[in-house]
Amino acid sequence: MLKAHNLVKIYAASGVPVHAVRGLDLEIEAGEFVAIMGPSGSGKSTLIHMLGGLDPRTSGEIWLDGKRVDTLSESGWALLRRKKVGFVFQGFNLVANMTVADNVELPALLAGTSPREARERREQLLDKLSLSDRAEASPGQLSGGEQQRVALARALANRPALLLADEPTGNLDSRNTRDVLRLLGEVHRGGQTIVMVTHDARVAALADRVVSLLDGEIVDDGRIPRRKIAGAGEVIDLR
Amino acid sequence: MSTARAATRWISADLRARKGQAALTVLAVAGILAALLTGATLLEEGTNPWRSLFGQTNGAHIWIHTTERPDVWRLRELDGVATSAGPYRSAPVTLVQDGKRPQAALRGLPAQLPEVARPQVQEGRWLSSEQPDGAVVERSFARASGLRLGAPLTLNTVGGSRQVLYVRGIADSAEQGFYPEWTPGLIWVLPSTLDRIEPKHELSEWVTGLRLADADATQVVSQRVLVELRQVERVYTWREVRAAMELDNRLLGTLLALFGVVGLVAAALALANAAGGRVLGQLRDLATLKSLGFTRGQVALLLVAEHGALGLLGIGIGLAAGWVLPVVLLGAGAAAPLPVLAIGAGAALVVLAAVGLPAWRGGRTPPIPAAPAAPPRGHLSRLARLALLVRLPPALVLGTRDAFTRRVPAFLTAFGLAVPMMMITIGLGVWATLDGFLKNPEQVGQSAALIVKTGKLTQGQAEELIAREPGVERSYPGSTVNALAPGEARSVQVRAIGGSREPYPYPVAEGRGYSQPGEGVAGQGLLDLLGVKIGDRVRLTVGGSPLIVRIVGRVVEPDLDGQVLSVGLDTLEAKDSVPPGYHALVLKPGADPGEVRLRLLSASQEGLDVQRVVNPAERLGVLRPVIAALIAVLALIGLANLLTAIGLGLRDHASDLAVLKAMGLTPRQVTATLVTATGLLVVAGVLTGTAVGAATVTGLIDLQGHTSGVGAGIGRPPAAATLVVTVLAAVSAALAVALIPARRAARAHVTTARLTHGVPSGRS
Ligand SMILES: Nc1ncnc2c1ncn2[C@@H]1O[C@H](COP(=O)(O)OP(=O)(O)OP(=O)(O)O)[C@@H](O)[C@H]1O
Ligand SMILES: [Mg+2]
Repeated sequence: MLKAHNLVKIYAASGVPVHAVRGLDLEIEAGEFVAIMGPSGSGKSTLIHMLGGLDPRTSGEIWLDGKRVDTLSESGWALLRRKKVGFVFQGFNLVANMTVADNVELPALLAGTSPREARERREQLLDKLSLSDRAEASPGQLSGGEQQRVALARALANRPALLLADEPTGNLDSRNTRDVLRLLGEVHRGGQTIVMVTHDARVAALADRVVSLLDGEIVDDGRIPRRKIAGAGEVIDLR
Repeated sequence: MSTARAATRWISADLRARKGQAALTVLAVAGILAALLTGATLLEEGTNPWRSLFGQTNGAHIWIHTTERPDVWRLRELDGVATSAGPYRSAPVTLVQDGKRPQAALRGLPAQLPEVARPQVQEGRWLSSEQPDGAVVERSFARASGLRLGAPLTLNTVGGSRQVLYVRGIADSAEQGFYPEWTPGLIWVLPSTLDRIEPKHELSEWVTGLRLADADATQVVSQRVLVELRQVERVYTWREVRAAMELDNRLLGTLLALFGVVGLVAAALALANAAGGRVLGQLRDLATLKSLGFTRGQVALLLVAEHGALGLLGIGIGLAAGWVLPVVLLGAGAAAPLPVLAIGAGAALVVLAAVGLPAWRGGRTPPIPAAPAAPPRGHLSRLARLALLVRLPPALVLGTRDAFTRRVPAFLTAFGLAVPMMMITIGLGVWATLDGFLKNPEQVGQSAALIVKTGKLTQGQAEELIAREPGVERSYPGSTVNALAPGEARSVQVRAIGGSREPYPYPVAEGRGYSQPGEGVAGQGLLDLLGVKIGDRVRLTVGGSPLIVRIVGRVVEPDLDGQVLSVGLDTLEAKDSVPPGYHALVLKPGADPGEVRLRLLSASQEGLDVQRVVNPAERLGVLRPVIAALIAVLALIGLANLLTAIGLGLRDHASDLAVLKAMGLTPRQVTATLVTATGLLVVAGVLTGTAVGAATVTGLIDLQGHTSGVGAGIGRPPAAATLVVTVLAAVSAALAVALIPARRAARAHVTTARLTHGVPSGRS
């Protein structure tokens, strides 16, 4: 599904070059749920941005569904994202002028869904994230956690084959975290591929696989056997 | 389709979020468009009377005045001539009215209206043999002289006899321009009546009109006419008539057009500024749109659609207003659809070009919202530290730092104010130039305030009366004759005034004044018309005899589009210059022309004909309301730009404000910080605009003067005091405007800062 080969990102804008990602190899199967962990500044956001085509790579290759995509133009990436990729930003990035409802419906409309379908999908998503009553609010009126959940709803609005989420549970209390994880689990069971950055080991435990980054390199890549999750009391607690 | 739907959502949400600013943008564009269209309509209205009159009266293209009756059949056989009007006998008369003595031409026309150049009767009826004392008066002359149907017309003939006729009709004609721009006025009578009033044929002339197959053949045909006929006194074509009918003159028309175009540029700038400011403030959201799958082109298109729609809406409203206003306010005819469409289309192009750049910039944002610009540092922080050292209030320091750290918005703000300010200064310069005309008429070639014609008195009597009048500084005898220029289809005016030894005090702009017979000075219009320059000799024909003049200088010449040659009286042959046609009186400083005129009239028992010289500024009086309206619209544009800048500034500072308050600044200090930031840019923009405007205005007016024939050397910059007052007014108005949103922002709860950055924050 998604494959990165010898991926490198060097930020050179502000004088001193910063090696954020250094020659990273990663292969993700279709339908897999991958958690990316690592200390702050280890290059998690940079990696996930590159995988979504939001930030150009310095060198290396990215393959999506058997096609090489790192050579795509900005517009090419945009069209690809519209159809296949949903993205949750670490900073949410909700459109400030639009209501929550409009924010969530926008990607669906863009992907060609009819306005009615888009509305139904939005109602469904907001409902699952306990945000139905905030649909007409503007993002500025929401709490950090609420904004984060709206961002997730927006990423899922066009039923992307690939969900890239940068700390989708960062600002949430345990109740909301449970809502989010339940939704992610549902999405996962629906066959969508999920790549999620997280600091929270308990959240990571829900994934099929945990990739650990340090200074822009993979230091650990471990599959978590299914059985183990099912048996873990903590995880059941969260559900 | 899917993109359009998504884009529509975004646009409507964005417009809802900034209703006030959007409305102001629409208003500014609409205001400029309405002004532009009103100006164009007035100009059209100025040219239209000729076109419609010429059509209605089946007018003649060329008019020839000869001393003897021409053989009209020979003229008709000339190539290009279709039909003819006349020849009609025409005699000069003076209308006797209380105080005024307007000159008129009494023209003999048959009771049967002619086919070509038939006067259009507007009131009353045409001449008939049953009413031999009836006359029909040309409409503009009737209006200027206050003549109504049935009113008596008391006429003095050249021979000195007095006759009374009655106004039976008032008619329009395309034969000559409107009175008083075109003199003499026109009165039609039956040929038999004319013979009775002025039996002497040597005191009259013959007027013939030629209608051509092709209106553009005037040049060739009039050349032929000149070869064919002897004793041609004067030839003119429909072009001169049309020019005379135009709204006052070319100067006014071109100035209006200039203001309109520059106003449109200013509106475009305001629009670009509004769009640009908005886009800069929205880069984060635009980036998000891209991360959701909008391509670069789609984002740009969306922005063009949003901001362009505002501009186009403004254009629509402006066109509607500009179409209705002249009709309602001025009673003018509605504008022709073609210029309206042309102006609308031109403005639409300007609007799209204006929003194109910011839209392109918006499209270029990377999909990852750029990290907030590097925190302000560098040259100004050193300045700020210095300011803190000398214990300036912190608000001032922070505001100063703020004003200049974000360079692009700072530039947009200053520039957006500088351009309207520059144009306001130019408008004030035009105003000052008009004032200069009025206060110092000698600088525009009008040293003489009164023109005296001998009327019923003899030369000697007249000169004696003038010499006894204490208000007169000097009297210059003068004569005005028409001369035929080589290769021109028309006559030019030669003004012989003063002696070559004691020349009339012309304001010589280039070269020198004439100082001996055979030398002359010309207006820019004449130099351009004949294609000559100072130092050249021109050969003209006056009444059949040649006149060779060396042009030694250029003078500022406000009359007849500058197409006047001025020489000393002794340069003309004696038959043309003795006795002089008039005396031009230069008054002593402080003497009131009106009083001197009344004294001369009473001393001569109404025998003298004394006229005041019309200052060109009086004719251009229409310009003043235009300038005032333009300044108002420009102020509106400046306001729109200012609000854009303030909105952008507040958005940029939403998070900083929270920090400032958290640091312990009082709301008052926060307000002061914001106002200082805006105020510095306002001052910079206003000062720059005023300086540039003041530096260019003289040159611009002179350029305009050059093209209108008046010639360079008339432009005046506005007075320093005016400029200071304008600058102060602009700055204080801007600060007052900046204060309101700044205070609101300072009072607002800091938590709104989360709107863009999602940072947890405390309360002040
Ligand atoms: N636009 C940028 N310009 C320069 N350097 C950058 C930029 N963005 C990130 N970096 C640097 O790249 C490195 C990796 O950053 P990244 O945002 O990927 O870290 P992260 O793992 O997501 O951290 P966190 O867990 O705090 O979000 C950091 O050292 C950071 O300073
Ligand atoms: Mg990160």
